[in-house]
Amino acid sequence: MRAESAFSVPVKLWALLCVLVGVSFGGNVLLTCILTGFAFVYLLLQRNIRLVISYGCFYLLLALLLVAIRYHGLHMVVFSEFYVLMFWNLSAVVLVSWDLITTPPGELSAFLSRIHAPTALILGLLVVFRFFPTMRAELKGVGRSMKNRGLTAPKQLLLHPLVSFEYVLVPFLLRVLQIADQLSVSAVARCAERPGVRGSYYGRKMTYRDIAMIAAWTVVTVGFVFLGRRFA
Amino acid sequence: MQETNKWTVKDVITTVLLSAVLIVIQLVVNMVCMANDFVSMVLSVGITMFMCAPVYMLMVSRIGKRFVTLIYMTILGVIFLLMGNWFLLPYYIVVGIICEAILWKRGSCENPNRLTASWTVASLLYNGVNLLPIWFFWDTYYDFAISSGMEQSYIDSYVHYYTSPGWLVFILLFTALMGFLGCLVGRRLICKHFKKAGVL
Repeated sequence: MRAESAFSVPVKLWALLCVLVGVSFGGNVLLTCILTGFAFVYLLLQRNIRLVISYGCFYLLLALLLVAIRYHGLHMVVFSEFYVLMFWNLSAVVLVSWDLITTPPGELSAFLSRIHAPTALILGLLVVFRFFPTMRAELKGVGRSMKNRGLTAPKQLLLHPLVSFEYVLVPFLLRVLQIADQLSVSAVARCAERPGVRGSYYGRKMTYRDIAMIAAWTVVTVGFVFLGRRFA
Repeated sequence: MQETNKWTVKDVITTVLLSAVLIVIQLVVNMVCMANDFVSMVLSVGITMFMCAPVYMLMVSRIGKRFVTLIYMTILGVIFLLMGNWFLLPYYIVVGIICEAILWKRGSCENPNRLTASWTVASLLYNGVNLLPIWFFWDTYYDFAISSGMEQSYIDSYVHYYTSPGWLVFILLFTALMGFLGCLVGRRLICKHFKKAGVL
């Protein structure tokens, strides 16, 4: 089972801190492939095969683009060279963040509550983590409604950009506000405003496997920073 | 009932959700505008501030409490920190404090003129995202740009637009104007839709 092989929340937070330190102080952007490579190993150990395959394909594409840009003078019109390197540089951050974001909310809130994080911070983080999948679905819904009414025709979009902007923005924002209300009611009903430490069905203790991974991330990051500065 | 300044769960969730919407709009517009040097360097910030203004006005009016702008600017700064631009976090916190000073007077969050002033100032100061690297962190930016394989012509046009006084004045005025116009659109949308829908 994937849930059983997942690392605990402190490991995930430590991994994120390590990649952030590595990316910020590494000194050599191209060598971030070391961090990204270890991030893939970290995901494989958690049996997150789907993410490894999908992001692995994207990372391979980035590598090919980088080679083409650096050695064959490729210049792209839409996706600039700057973004290719930015994604290359931030790939480890993206992978580790995504792993953290997709952690069950109960596990996250149990850990944050245990370390006495303020309720506002816990709620804020949980809302941000659930933002992207929810909003994508909402935008799709708005797009479908507009299509039904014939408002997505290229002529309409080009001739009336401001009106089209309004047609997308208003229902989308109304839906966001509705979601905010529903989430608030749900959180309050679950005693989010109650002071004190909250427990969780999903709360789990650190194991030797978790401690080993924390040590591994530390060693890889220190090694990467040292190597990156040497070859800067 | 007396109005309190204490934040509730609903306020936190609404601020975080709408801040996330604002940041996504900013990143998407910037990415699309990268297709052309002129649009990317001169117009993109203005377009961004125009599109974000209605969302910002809705967010502050809906919550109606102090520190909404400061929280939004801090979240924005943290996103830039994650992207490697650590110096933008303290900068955006300062921008947030300036906007909060404009909105400090009780009832300002429901006052469209104050909201317009706050966002127009935020729009003007948002240019720091392009100006700070050239003024204070040029070596870091230049090394990153060169190692990314970015063409010298792109870097030259960046320097050209952000160091020639004429272009600089145009960019600053254009951005502030677009922020201001965005607020006018936001005011209209709030009256036309959001007040009628009963969400404000």
